[in-house]
Amino acid sequence: MIAQIGLSILLGGIAIYAWIESPRAPAVAFVAMAFAAAGLYFVWLPEHATRLAALAGVGRGVDLVLYVWVVINLLVLLNLHLKLRAQTEMITVLARELAIANARAPAETK
Amino acid sequence: MALDQNGPVWIVIAAYNEAATVATVVADIVGRGFQVAVVDDGSNDGTGADARAAGAHVLRHPFNLGQGAALQTGIQFALGKGAQSIVTFDADGQHSADDIEALLAALRTGSADFALGSRFLGATVAMPTTRRLLLKAALAFTRLTTGLRVTDTHNGLRAMTRRGASRIALRQNRMAHASELLHQIARSGLGYVEVPVTIAYTRYSLAKGQGLGDSARVLVDLSAQRLHR
Repeated sequence: MIAQIGLSILLGGIAIYAWIESPRAPAVAFVAMAFAAAGLYFVWLPEHATRLAALAGVGRGVDLVLYVWVVINLLVLLNLHLKLRAQTEMITVLARELAIANARAPAETK
Repeated sequence: MALDQNGPVWIVIAAYNEAATVATVVADIVGRGFQVAVVDDGSNDGTGADARAAGAHVLRHPFNLGQGAALQTGIQFALGKGAQSIVTFDADGQHSADDIEALLAALRTGSADFALGSRFLGATVAMPTTRRLLLKAALAFTRLTTGLRVTDTHNGLRAMTRRGASRIALRQNRMAHASELLHQIARSGLGYVEVPVTIAYTRYSLAKGQGLGDSARVLVDLSAQRLHR
């Protein structure tokens, strides 16, 4: 019961945060809220997770949750990596403009 | 200023902490009458000051971005200065300035917009076996992914016409830029030719060169770029 309450508070917090962020990133907020709702559902009705796992051919409900969790984390990591690359490209363009604007001629031809 | 048949030639050198060699490299090229642009990629050892004292125009990245980013900066600068031909050249002393003229001569024939230096058509001095194997693996990968029948890849000594340089927009900041450049050449549909060059390996240049770990990183960078856009 203590774990269920703790997990519920955590998932509830995530859902609230996603709702606050929804005007800025509606798609991400929707997915986060959907997963938080599914998490809450399975925290309180774990036997339903086991039934779903059996349907998917995974075995135990906890295994299904674990696999989905790993896949979601990897997707989040990939998304972050790609966003970081995009930001690095923008910083590179900025640094390049600075370098070209401040180019210095050879010392002899001052 | 050295002029090709169409106008000025600029030599672009990307340099990161190359104070040990950059002045000698720049002085040798400037002595041949070429304009040199050194892109100091956030060095903290006086590379920029040494290059400038040796006669180069110096552009400084505020922090280290990588060789690909530095080359693109240099190419963009040279184009802005009216370069009609651009040669990329390493700062670590591996390349021979004698080869610049051969690269430019290949462009002058008018049949190609890119003249790519090839150490395997030319010569290597003191090349370790592990480096040879690594380059052969990279070559197989490049041939497979670009369709270009080149004999060398990741060779920083190359020349391009203004038209060719205008078609290059490197987005790979680090070592994957060499493969990216070949991809862009293949996509441009412009002609290329390989020119025999000599690469002289020294303990210094080998210490600064790429290893197996860098090759893995190149593969990751190239894959990530395909997902990105």
